[in-house]
Amino acid sequence: MRSILKSIAVFSCALVMLSGMTVGNAAAEERIIIDGSTTVGPIAKAFAEYYMSLHEDVNITVSESGSGNGAKSLINGMCDIADMSRFMKQKEFMAAVEKGRMPVAHVVAVDGLPIIVHPGNPVGNLTIEQVRDIYMGKIVNWKEVGGPDVQIVRVSRDTNSGTYETFETMVMAKEKIHENTEYVGSNGAVRQRVQSTPAAIGYAGLGFVDRTVKALKVNGIMPDRNTVSSGTYPIARPLFMFTDKYPKLGTHLHAFVSLYLTPKGQEIIEEIGFIPVTKY
Amino acid sequence: MEVGTRKLLDRSFTSVGFFAIILMGMALLILLQPIIVRGLKAFIFRGTVEYREMSLEQFGRGNAEALARDLDEALEARKPVYDILDSFEEEMKESGPEFRRQYRSDFSELKGLITELLGPREGAKEKALIRKKYGQTRYDRALIKLHQVLFVEGYDYSDTSGMGKSIETPRAELFAGTTIERLFGVLESDIEKMLKPKMTLYWRFLFDESKDAHFFGGIWPEMLGTLYLSIGSMIFAIPLGIITAIYLAEYAGHGKFVSLLRTCISSLAGVPSIVFGLFGLAFFINTMHVSSSKSVLAGSMTLALLVLPTIIRASEEAILAVPRGYREASMSLGAGKWFTIARVILPAALPGILTSTIISLGRAAGETAPIIFTAAVSVGKPLGLFETLSQPTPALPWNIYNLATEHEAVDEIRHVQYGMVFTLVAMVLLLNLTAILLRARITKKLRG
Amino acid sequence: MAEAKTDKDDKVIGSRLMMGARERRFRSIGSRIGHSTLILIASSSLIALLFIFYFIIKDAFPFFRLEGFREFLGSSRWYPSREEAEFGALAIFIGSGLVTLGAILFSVPVGVLASLCLSDILPFSLRQVVKPVIEMLAAIPSVVYGFFALVVFAPMLQEKGGSLLSAAALVVLIPLAAILVIVTSDLLSGMFTRNVRKISRVAAGLAGSAVSFYFISRIYVFLNGLEIASGTNALNASVILGIMALPTIVSVSEDALNAVGRDLREGSYALGATRAETLVKVVVPAAKSGITAAVILGVMRAIGETMVVWMASGNAARIPKPWFNLLEPVRTLTATIAGDMGEADHVTGSARYHVLFAMALGLLLFAFISNFVSEMIVRKSRRSGS
Repeated sequence: MRSILKSIAVFSCALVMLSGMTVGNAAAEERIIIDGSTTVGPIAKAFAEYYMSLHEDVNITVSESGSGNGAKSLINGMCDIADMSRFMKQKEFMAAVEKGRMPVAHVVAVDGLPIIVHPGNPVGNLTIEQVRDIYMGKIVNWKEVGGPDVQIVRVSRDTNSGTYETFETMVMAKEKIHENTEYVGSNGAVRQRVQSTPAAIGYAGLGFVDRTVKALKVNGIMPDRNTVSSGTYPIARPLFMFTDKYPKLGTHLHAFVSLYLTPKGQEIIEEIGFIPVTKY
Repeated sequence: MEVGTRKLLDRSFTSVGFFAIILMGMALLILLQPIIVRGLKAFIFRGTVEYREMSLEQFGRGNAEALARDLDEALEARKPVYDILDSFEEEMKESGPEFRRQYRSDFSELKGLITELLGPREGAKEKALIRKKYGQTRYDRALIKLHQVLFVEGYDYSDTSGMGKSIETPRAELFAGTTIERLFGVLESDIEKMLKPKMTLYWRFLFDESKDAHFFGGIWPEMLGTLYLSIGSMIFAIPLGIITAIYLAEYAGHGKFVSLLRTCISSLAGVPSIVFGLFGLAFFINTMHVSSSKSVLAGSMTLALLVLPTIIRASEEAILAVPRGYREASMSLGAGKWFTIARVILPAALPGILTSTIISLGRAAGETAPIIFTAAVSVGKPLGLFETLSQPTPALPWNIYNLATEHEAVDEIRHVQYGMVFTLVAMVLLLNLTAILLRARITKKLRG
Repeated sequence: MAEAKTDKDDKVIGSRLMMGARERRFRSIGSRIGHSTLILIASSSLIALLFIFYFIIKDAFPFFRLEGFREFLGSSRWYPSREEAEFGALAIFIGSGLVTLGAILFSVPVGVLASLCLSDILPFSLRQVVKPVIEMLAAIPSVVYGFFALVVFAPMLQEKGGSLLSAAALVVLIPLAAILVIVTSDLLSGMFTRNVRKISRVAAGLAGSAVSFYFISRIYVFLNGLEIASGTNALNASVILGIMALPTIVSVSEDALNAVGRDLREGSYALGATRAETLVKVVVPAAKSGITAAVILGVMRAIGETMVVWMASGNAARIPKPWFNLLEPVRTLTATIAGDMGEADHVTGSARYHVLFAMALGLLLFAFISNFVSEMIVRKSRRSGS
């Protein structure tokens, strides 16, 4: 019995010491809380780590709980920056104003949504109408668009993602995605599904497209840095960070949300696979 | 039925039973084997010279002189590669536009791949992301990258009846007849000299903060967050649980209220964990405002509710297991009921209560669903003790999910994911092992 | 002091002897306060449960006001993010049911057999080895199971799914067929006279083996040729959930089996029954209610699990065709709550936010009712047993 008590005592002592270690360096910190989209998440995370490496005294936390959640947190004053892969809805704006907050959008980057297929698929070009028809279930076989006689496997991002909402508004117009569609949870998972399934078609953020999948030309335009940033590639969207009012000059918050305007910030954005808004 | 048949059936029944047990054991083995084998690779691996460079520059660790020596040797070995690339670039400049057009995109792809393999060349522009500053830091990943350099994955679409067939051709064929053809042979034979892999033990994986979204570094914020959350939940759950158990074991009779209470406890145990998460969000954060947003405190409270039924039940059992004689002896000496409970029964039941507490601690450490909305974030610094009252934290279970499904480079940081899983499993199983050993001692004591 | 003598309760006398009247009153007030505090703390789980119900219902109710029941339970069109959103959750309910069913189909036979083995067949020393295995299976966090399902099991299913399934089918079907053949040939031969009995038995056995060989090989070939389009599907989630539900089922049903008295077993042995016969015909029926409770608890464990289904079930909100097709991706209640919560805007009070609480309410009610049923079963059996 005594030995048990003793070991508890030792354990708790160790714990207190352990946390004491971190108390030391954590005192008098400034915090920036970021919440929101999983698509903007990688940018926010990379920025956060970069920024924290420059300023030891700042603690930045990043949650990736979705655009809607980000908006909600900002409205309730639970976060400083809301990452969003769509613009704020009118309702959200009104709710924010009611609570005395004024959301300000910062367009940190542009993201293209390439339509991807298995590299073994000979099809190289689709029109946006064809993509829509495929996802509506009107076109069910690759031979209808010039490919081999194989049934199409539709892969989509999950309905809870901003990426899905973008695809739905930009490609599907008012039509509904056919119910026999696989939903996967992340951009990486879409790529994985497509690279392992020869008959698959999917869409993912530009940063996630690599050698293992083939990006299709849409309306004859290949998605890349130039076509997306110039707006010629038809499926592209801006990515936002929202703050409550424009942050005061000279604060860490201001420095952080304007990081995307600096050369380093743009380099980071590009290295993760997104497209900076301005060219440096 | 004949006796023989009955015997046969009896035997086969026995073996089917054994088979069920073996199946369970196998399930455990199959589950743990990859986690242990690949999880250990986060700690022990063949680190290249790039790893040692990273370690020195980012963490200030390692022997600078030895590294400089290694780097010199590695650069010496890499020189032929760069020489060939340079001379090809010269060749491109001098030859006609035809030649340039033919090789430009292939050549830039090759250069990109070699940069990914060996790191940016000396004098190249400084990269912003840490992951781009170094070549492959792990030899196993370097070999995969090397394969990508040596071979091109292409597709043959000639058969129009089906999908194209994958074909791997040596990249050298793309550059047939040029100076660059030699490069591939050099790379293949000298890769070890260029990267100088060494067995590396990275025990600090547990105690380092991550660099560049878990490309480098360790999992300390996640570990600490998990510790805070699980211990925090115990701080709330243990007093509540033990007092309830005392009430149920010592005071309550068999009335309506008590049986309602018992039903509630078992119902609480059956509530899905995600519902606890929603409740924690709606109650602790949005209604009670224990913190302005997600925080360790809110997460601990939510987890406490989750483990409460387990603690109550086990503590009640432990209290009931204390022999009647203890109680009677204490009472007959004139001690009051409270005194008896506090000084006689609780100490005797303590090991049993402790066992259940340890198991619940493991459960709280591993739960994900309740902390998604109440405590967990993807990136954050390790928290100080008092910051837990107001700040959210990364935690192992959530970050395992996050890294395995939402990270932009899922495949390249598999070792970190496995390392996290391994750490979490090791933590939980160690706690359980302690509980099992403790219980064995108790039963021995009770018997002896 | 005088009144103490009239008090008949001996226990009270002792304590009252030691204190004066004022002190006594003080004590009784104090103890009453203490007692009520104790009750208050002890009912914390009751309060917690009430609060959980209150908060879930409070946020679930607006959904039914906004959208009504009919679409929620009658349609499988799940388009929560559109302008004219549709919230048909039928497919999601069916998805939850399907993975749970799959998990139970796997874990109940294995779990009950294992618990029989633990309670009656294994020697004590081996039991001490197996117990920690079960405890470890129970202790491993769900996210670890989910990680395994996503990273290890899903690619395995996708690449070698056919051969994996066919091998599993062989392992299950061959012993089953063998037992079936033995029993039927024995029963058949019982119908003949003594002199042809042996021959008829051999003949029936041979015929039975031929038939079962034919069927097994057909199944084997069918499964072996099966191509699994996606490794993250209902089957994956079911198998992993089954493994997760095993410890619950084993430990609860083992308790029930142990509670069956030795006398019943010994009586059966004394009548000349073999161990298998004793177990199947005497012990299991006697522990029936306990085993049912174990199954219900296993179902609750499977249906309430979040991380595994979120990571491994594929999350397609549609009813598989045919409905029992485990090889198609499904979406479950828990995964929908976990995944959609982030996109649902709480502030504006949208139906998309409240629908998740409606789902949580469904889960909660299910858990509550099945818990109640299992308690009733156990209580009833206790009453009739004692």
